[in-house]
Amino acid sequence: MTDPKYFTTNKKREIFELKAELNNEKKEKRKEAGKKVIAAMTVGKDVSSLFPDVVNCMQTDNLELKKLVYHYLMNYDCEDPDPLIRALTVRTMGCIRVDKITEYLCEPLCKCLKDEDPYVWKTAAVCVAKLHDINAQMVEDQGFLDSLRDFIADSNPMVVANAIVALSEISESHQNSNLLDLNSQNINKLLTALNECTEWGQIFILDYDREAQSICEQVTPRLSHANSEVVLSFLELLPKDSDYYNMLLKKLAPPLVTLLSGEPEVQYITLRNINLIVQIRPETLKQEIKAFFVKCNDPIYVKLEKLDIMIRLASQVLAELKEYATEGDVDFVCKAVRAIGQCAIKVEQSAECCTKVNYVVQEAIVVIRDIFRKYPNKYESIIATLCGNLDSLDEPDARAATIWIVGECAERIDNADELLESFLEGFHDESTQVQLTLLTAIVKLFLKKPSETQELVPLTTRYSDNSDLRDRSYIYRCLLSTDPVTAKEIVLSEKPLISEETDLIEPTLLDELICHIGSLASVYHKPPNAFVEGSHGIHRKHLPIHHGSTDAGDSPVGTTTAMNLEQPQVKPSQGDLLGDLLNLDLSSPVNAPQVSSMQMGAVDLQGGGLESLLGSDLGGGIGGSPAVGQSFIPSSVPATFAPSPGPAVVSSGPNDLFEFSTGIGMAPGGYVAPKAVWLPAVKAKGLEISGTFTHLQALQHMTDFAIQFNKNSFGVIPSTPLAIHTPLMPNQSIDVSLPLNTVGPVMKMEPLNNLQGAVKNNLDVFYFSWLIPLNVLFVEDGKMEHQVFLATSKDIPNENELQFQVKECHFNADTVSSKFQNNNVYTIAKRNVEGQDMLYQSLKLTNGIWILAELRIQPGNPNYTLESFPHCVFVKFVKDQMVVDVWLSF
Amino acid sequence: MISQFFILSSKGDPLIYKDFRGDSGGRDVAELFYRKLTGLPGDESPVVMHHEGRHFIHIRHSGLYLVVTTSENVSPFGLLELLSRLATLLGDYCGSLGEGTISRNVALVYELLDEVLDYGYVQTTSTEMLKNFIQTEAVVSKPFSLFDLSSVGLFGAETQQSKVAPSSAASRPVLSSRSDQSQKNEVFLDVVERLSVLIASNGSLLKVDVQGEIRLKSFLPSGSEMRIGLTEEFCVGKSELRGEEKGSVSPWGYGPGIRVDEVSFHSSVNLDEFESHRILRLQPPQGELTVMRYQLSDDLPSPLPFRLFPSVQWDRGSGRLQVYLKLRCDLPLKSQALNVRLHLPLPRGVVSLSQELSSPEQKAELAEGALCWDLPRVQGGSQLSGLFQMDVPRLPGPPSHGLSTSTPPLGLGPTSLSFELPRHTCSGLQVRFLRLSFRPCGNANPHKWVRHLSHSDAYVIRI
Repeated sequence: MTDPKYFTTNKKREIFELKAELNNEKKEKRKEAGKKVIAAMTVGKDVSSLFPDVVNCMQTDNLELKKLVYHYLMNYDCEDPDPLIRALTVRTMGCIRVDKITEYLCEPLCKCLKDEDPYVWKTAAVCVAKLHDINAQMVEDQGFLDSLRDFIADSNPMVVANAIVALSEISESHQNSNLLDLNSQNINKLLTALNECTEWGQIFILDYDREAQSICEQVTPRLSHANSEVVLSFLELLPKDSDYYNMLLKKLAPPLVTLLSGEPEVQYITLRNINLIVQIRPETLKQEIKAFFVKCNDPIYVKLEKLDIMIRLASQVLAELKEYATEGDVDFVCKAVRAIGQCAIKVEQSAECCTKVNYVVQEAIVVIRDIFRKYPNKYESIIATLCGNLDSLDEPDARAATIWIVGECAERIDNADELLESFLEGFHDESTQVQLTLLTAIVKLFLKKPSETQELVPLTTRYSDNSDLRDRSYIYRCLLSTDPVTAKEIVLSEKPLISEETDLIEPTLLDELICHIGSLASVYHKPPNAFVEGSHGIHRKHLPIHHGSTDAGDSPVGTTTAMNLEQPQVKPSQGDLLGDLLNLDLSSPVNAPQVSSMQMGAVDLQGGGLESLLGSDLGGGIGGSPAVGQSFIPSSVPATFAPSPGPAVVSSGPNDLFEFSTGIGMAPGGYVAPKAVWLPAVKAKGLEISGTFTHLQALQHMTDFAIQFNKNSFGVIPSTPLAIHTPLMPNQSIDVSLPLNTVGPVMKMEPLNNLQGAVKNNLDVFYFSWLIPLNVLFVEDGKMEHQVFLATSKDIPNENELQFQVKECHFNADTVSSKFQNNNVYTIAKRNVEGQDMLYQSLKLTNGIWILAELRIQPGNPNYTLESFPHCVFVKFVKDQMVVDVWLSF
Repeated sequence: MISQFFILSSKGDPLIYKDFRGDSGGRDVAELFYRKLTGLPGDESPVVMHHEGRHFIHIRHSGLYLVVTTSENVSPFGLLELLSRLATLLGDYCGSLGEGTISRNVALVYELLDEVLDYGYVQTTSTEMLKNFIQTEAVVSKPFSLFDLSSVGLFGAETQQSKVAPSSAASRPVLSSRSDQSQKNEVFLDVVERLSVLIASNGSLLKVDVQGEIRLKSFLPSGSEMRIGLTEEFCVGKSELRGEEKGSVSPWGYGPGIRVDEVSFHSSVNLDEFESHRILRLQPPQGELTVMRYQLSDDLPSPLPFRLFPSVQWDRGSGRLQVYLKLRCDLPLKSQALNVRLHLPLPRGVVSLSQELSSPEQKAELAEGALCWDLPRVQGGSQLSGLFQMDVPRLPGPPSHGLSTSTPPLGLGPTSLSFELPRHTCSGLQVRFLRLSFRPCGNANPHKWVRHLSHSDAYVIRI
């Protein structure tokens, strides 16, 4: 053994023997040889020269031998000096998805995870995920997860990206779904990698944790990425609840439109996404309508999508015109109404142009029938044109539609009987649909003009082999012969209006889809769970209720989420709109109350439903208070409450707010009682709530009123009974003042200023709930001592400090100060810093809570900056059209 | 993540099939895809399809279907992007993308796929980075010849320029040139614009839209820097021009600016000198690269290349339809348009065509219910006309009497034009210079080929 020569020859001989055995004809021999090779390898002998022979053995169906071969390969390749080969081995072995192989994979993988080459690491990282899919336990046992976590800190971004990929893949099937603790340290590491890696790697990293706000900020520069498709991918990864996302959604339109110049495939995907955006935010795309003009070389699926979007945008234009028509300026309204008229005329003109192409006419007639059903007795003028075209119709749909119209309007068409007769000639050749319609039309005609139709009625349908037709004609015959009056009632009865707008996506689905902008769901227009199995797929957050606390002063951005929720409901559909445009019918029920009244049944005193009821009716009038409610509620908002505050805040300009101090805000009407609207108003001394009862629809008069409040945060109770001594008659309204005091039982409410109560009368008990505007609770002794103010304001932790701007206030500091003082908000100190007036203010609530605020006024700048110290709540209150938002502390 | 990737020929034969995750139904999936694709009704989009929890996303490129499948709700934009990158990559490495090149280079394609995607996760799509890992050399069908003009790609397509790049010169693989030093130092730069126009029947312009891009294909060694100088008057966005009106001076604010609405650059472009001198600096990797994309709508600096003055006479009684088309080319006198084809859909049932054309090289024929008028070459400033007479039996619609010149018959129009404008950009953007800092150690200076080209996208004139 000491003789090296002997050793090598010995070794050579051994190798030679093994070589021969490996190439042996017999399987058994080869297997034995394989075992020997592995054994030699395990004890450290160099058997690498056997490589080609071992590889030859791979071609076997003997699992045992195959495993040996793999083991050999992995052992040698994983020690190869070339990192490409080491990586290749790990990658390939990971793809052999056989459980029994995994034990051979384990050791080399271990080595590779500790390799010195990043290329090997990144491959090994993915391999861990592959292994986990086959044998999760082994990954656990071997501590591979820790290796992955270590990779997060690696300097090579590829390694980080793949480690993240592996971790997120594993966490999908892992009992502990949060495998990586996203502390600030880890996030920093990710961010570092984010800046350096390829865009694909960036996507993986963003994908892993899309909630970390810091990542979002980091992403911002990527949104100006040259490749807009990448931009979209990034956008898709952003948290859907952030204001940021909403802002981006607005900005999304132009880049999306840019994508329309791409390949048809990209165009299609883009259009499907635009189709969603256009439904919630059409205004962003109005400028871009030309981009949706159809090109002659577009594929048909692109053309159809473009058309769809154009229709949606067009209805938006009409909606806009309708808005104009309700404005105050008479001239402007006239113009707007005229514009609507012109639109209608244009449509008709184009319809006339269309009448010359046959298939268009036929489609048009079907549409006209629908219009007739939707707006009976409005467009009969078109009938004459229609009758002129009868001959050219060959589509059953169109023929049936025409017949229907003739039957429906038989009394206005002089030769209706002739027309129908002409159809009857070829009765048996018609399709069933036409036959049935014809039958009905003739019966209608008979009922309307019995004298002329006598000869048509004995129908030939008795011998028809179509049972529907036979039965229907039988029924008609029976009806006509026994009781013509009833027949008339039945056949000519009012038809229910056809439902319109089948193509609008249902609001809840739309919301969900908006969350999935840029994913497959947005292309299918189906929720992801409809086509993705199990828990796989990207988990996305639903649009949560917006918390408008930090930037309510800047509401357009801050509250867009809430707008999203609301808009689809309110947005008039096209057909609906047409009706409105033509009627300008203001007495028709408004959407929101309808929705609310449906909720009524289930509402109890504690429930949130009434809030929504009142909120949506009065939101416009009392803008400030729902905002209070909003900031009170962190996340667990009752669902029914959700949609209403948004629009209220949006619309809450100074004028809106001012309304509530006038004391009366009326629901637009149309839903069942209670019609009680309770509005607190300020009186110089103490509190009063002036309520207004309006009795609109109930048929009975109401008497025996009484009122009671639930326990509330400020102990507000009525100090006298409700003084309504005369019965309330229908359509009568009574103004009642109800003095209140704050000595009642106290219970903390959510939100804090929530007031729930009930009004009873001879009919029933009606519950209501309202948010007390906090300014009525400001007490006269709210002036804090200067020193106390200083001390207190220092005590308040920084994170409770909030800041926002008050827009468009043209007052100087003194006016502001005195206006505040009239409202029991006291100026403690005033100083001038760098040309800005600083007002330090305090106020106190009836329950002793103090509120501190600092108001910064820049002369000449109508936007005030208000900095508030405390945690908590803000309330908007109003005096002489000036809005000031104050933050409360307690 | 991606479950599978496959490439099908235009007939649906699988050329490449790669399964990344082992969770799929095997190769039948490719067949299933093709069946679904061909079985779709016409108006349904095949871009994204869905079958039993598997989504197919595909693009068509050079007659091939590039398909990925996934089972998750991922971003289709990302997948489409990946597919188009893959198409570029395969083109770079195999020379060009086509059925022949793919099937000759199966091993190379699989090797590429292995590096691009691991377990369905994209690793990299950069031609440059992948070079470190790719061993296989591309198999090229035949040696490149300067005289081979048969295959016409975008780069080096036939032009009327004095120096003409060999048409197939640009379609060679980035790697295979290792052995062949003589062809190495070449760079191709194309400014390509697509023009979309919609003109109403009264002649008013409804929409103009120019999509442009500057594309580069480089065979220089990686890392060699180049500078591309654009027209100095080039400016972006509407505000810059407005600023000029207000009196604020901008360095390029003289003369009619070459303006575009939006510009985006490839991430490797260095814009340090862009603001001051309109110079793009970059160190392009080998292969193809879109340096810059831009678009311009509504305000074109130059008149539209073509105006059409149609007049239509038709006599319902005799069924005679007479169309007189006058086509005016408003290009500069020295420019010309090539391969101009006018396409006019005709009413159903048109039977015969007689024509009087203004020059002999033109050609007109009836094809698929439309009139096709081919004008191989139209000189700027020239005016061409054609008189076409057709018989239309049973023209549908309400009866009318006598000749009518006001209302066109049904089914006629709109006209669409397709053409190429060599050495012309509709936006006016030009490449002033292309300078290479690269100095070859050996023989020749690098060849630089710069081209400008506009072609029609959808040029529609309503009648």
